[in-house]
Amino acid sequence: MSIAAEELGEVYEKKVLDKLSDAVIGGFVKIAETLRPGWYRRNKSRVDEWRLMAYAFNRSPPGIIGMLLVLGFVLVALVGPYVAPFRYDTPLQFFDQNSYLAPPGTVISVPNSTLAQNFGIKPGNYTLLLGGDDYGRDLWSRILYGARTSFVVAILVMMVGPWIGIAIGLIAGYYGGKIDELLMRITDVFLAFPGLILAIAFSAVLPPRISAFLESHATIRSLLLTLFALEEQHAGAMAYLVSVVVALWLVWWPGYARLVRGSVLSARENLYVEAARALGVPTRWIMIRHILPNILGPVLVYLTLDFGGVILTEAGLSFLGVGAVPPIADWGRIVYDGANFFPNAWWLVFFPGLATLLAVLGFNLIGDTLRDVLDPKTRRSLEFKLKKREEVVEGE
Amino acid sequence: MSSCDPIIEVKNLYVNFYTYAGVVKAIDGVSFRICRGETYCLVGETGCGKSVTAKSLTRLIRSPGRIEKGSVIYYRDGKPVDLLKLGEEELRGIRGAEISYIFQDPSSSLDPLYTIGYQVAETMKEHGRVASIKEGIRRAVDILRTVLMPDPETRVKNYPHELSGGMKQRGVIGISLSNKPRLVIADEPTTALDATVQDQIMDLLKKLKAEEDLTVLLITHNMGLVADMCDRVAVMYAGRIVEEADVFELFANPKHPYTQALLRAVPNPMKRMDKLESIPGTVPNLIFPPSGCRFHPRCPFAMDICSRERPPDLEVAPGHRVACWLYTEHGGR
Repeated sequence: MSIAAEELGEVYEKKVLDKLSDAVIGGFVKIAETLRPGWYRRNKSRVDEWRLMAYAFNRSPPGIIGMLLVLGFVLVALVGPYVAPFRYDTPLQFFDQNSYLAPPGTVISVPNSTLAQNFGIKPGNYTLLLGGDDYGRDLWSRILYGARTSFVVAILVMMVGPWIGIAIGLIAGYYGGKIDELLMRITDVFLAFPGLILAIAFSAVLPPRISAFLESHATIRSLLLTLFALEEQHAGAMAYLVSVVVALWLVWWPGYARLVRGSVLSARENLYVEAARALGVPTRWIMIRHILPNILGPVLVYLTLDFGGVILTEAGLSFLGVGAVPPIADWGRIVYDGANFFPNAWWLVFFPGLATLLAVLGFNLIGDTLRDVLDPKTRRSLEFKLKKREEVVEGE
Repeated sequence: MSSCDPIIEVKNLYVNFYTYAGVVKAIDGVSFRICRGETYCLVGETGCGKSVTAKSLTRLIRSPGRIEKGSVIYYRDGKPVDLLKLGEEELRGIRGAEISYIFQDPSSSLDPLYTIGYQVAETMKEHGRVASIKEGIRRAVDILRTVLMPDPETRVKNYPHELSGGMKQRGVIGISLSNKPRLVIADEPTTALDATVQDQIMDLLKKLKAEEDLTVLLITHNMGLVADMCDRVAVMYAGRIVEEADVFELFANPKHPYTQALLRAVPNPMKRMDKLESIPGTVPNLIFPPSGCRFHPRCPFAMDICSRERPPDLEVAPGHRVACWLYTEHGGR
């Protein structure tokens, strides 16, 4: 049986983080209990398991660092565009020549003019924290906007790409035989061809069609504009970003198909799958309810690790010039444009590169830690340690 | 059994497994008939094809296995249907609802991610017995009570890992009976349990059989269980039925040399025995099965013809079939 949180507290010196995670889980339980009375009693074992997972996570320094990085990234992506001092496309060069390739920390002054009012900038002195680029745009603001771009691209890719792979892997693994052979050979073809090159090809041909599509679907267009925090007049440039998303959908599934197929091959041999078949449960239901949840652990780890991969690939595509186009703020694109002025204006390459590094690193660290945390053996060993201490306490 | 109202009839069933090592001829011409209301046993050692036969009945054999030929006639409300020719959807309607299974290892035949109540409810919902999982879980309490699960109101919300082996098997039986099937196929239902729990589970099966008017196909390698539970017995060896008889007849008057050897290999507390006999030799490799009678390499009475030709099915007494050359003019018995 699992240990209740109170008992844990007595025998284990809780760290601040443990208290924090207890508070978060406790808060969630409280909400669930208010919405559905009796929820906690029914799901007690699940909640205890969450607590243990959180404790295991808190005991992994890389995991904590990763969590901080990712939380920082997500926070910046969510609020960045609203707290940025300037918009991503404000050419400060119009107001102060000093902003042209300004090194970090340059102070510029914006005089009172109609132009400034049109751009929505209050007159006064500003410090360009991370410097300015060749249009005098504020690099700090652009990096904040760039976080939003990366985040939204990654989310959109993750919402579709992996699930194509999961569906294909499930079908191939469950049915086996010829279906498996066919689906996996197709997967092999995609795997054999480097994903990045395929994505380059797709993102090179897709934009006109995506552009036309966005033109005719106003609701989708405005929704995406809001998501990417872009202005209406940049819808054309956004088509390129959306092309990257679609291109990544098309190349992002083969790894998942393989992973899931492998897990399904072992999961479908479980007697409970056979039992479900023998009791007349439909195949679709068996796949979704009995196989998928039982193989979700490795998939979840891979998804988290992959989040960083998408960010990196998207930045890479933009860096190669097939992703985001000006004036969209995108980390890869900023590096690409800044490379013209390297190494004199090193900040144009260094800071967006650093931002990409930290975000990707964060997701990788979390993914690695999740692999340990989701492994019941890790949690059991933690539980076991606690039990032993309890016995010692009782023995005294 | 004087009159037999058959519920299922297997005719000339052949099942092969296509493995990398070669074609395993797992079931080689098996025929039998189960009468309504009886407990029919399939006995035999590990790997002789008992479970494969049971799974073939509702076509649960998966690749690399294949049912080569034969028919499984199921008498559905008196009308015969060949289950091997039925569409997948129709067959699904029969699985669980009319022909249900109880598997060997209760701890692995329950999905660890769902409560026992949910798993009972799931099959009921699939077969349209309840409108929703919620209603199913309420009904599951009654079902768990009929399988004598202690404290069913609490247990229904438990996950498999929170239950003991015996409770799990009660749950599995509950799931299996939740749709009021006509035929229950119990595939070594007690192998994974310890002796006292075995006894309880078998008592439960007997009780339920009487209450719910079930027909049971019991698969086991335990001769004790056979004697305790069964009405009629079929002895399988290397993918064939070598002998079939009424349970009393089989124990009193075993005809096939394999059956005789098998019975000698079971300790009997009533008789003094100096030494428990074992059957010499090993189970044959079914990729290259012995020619003729598959038991002949281990048979103390083997004759010339045994290695050449497959023995015919002989009816040596009413309801007592045996596939052995000894009882033909060749054997002179």
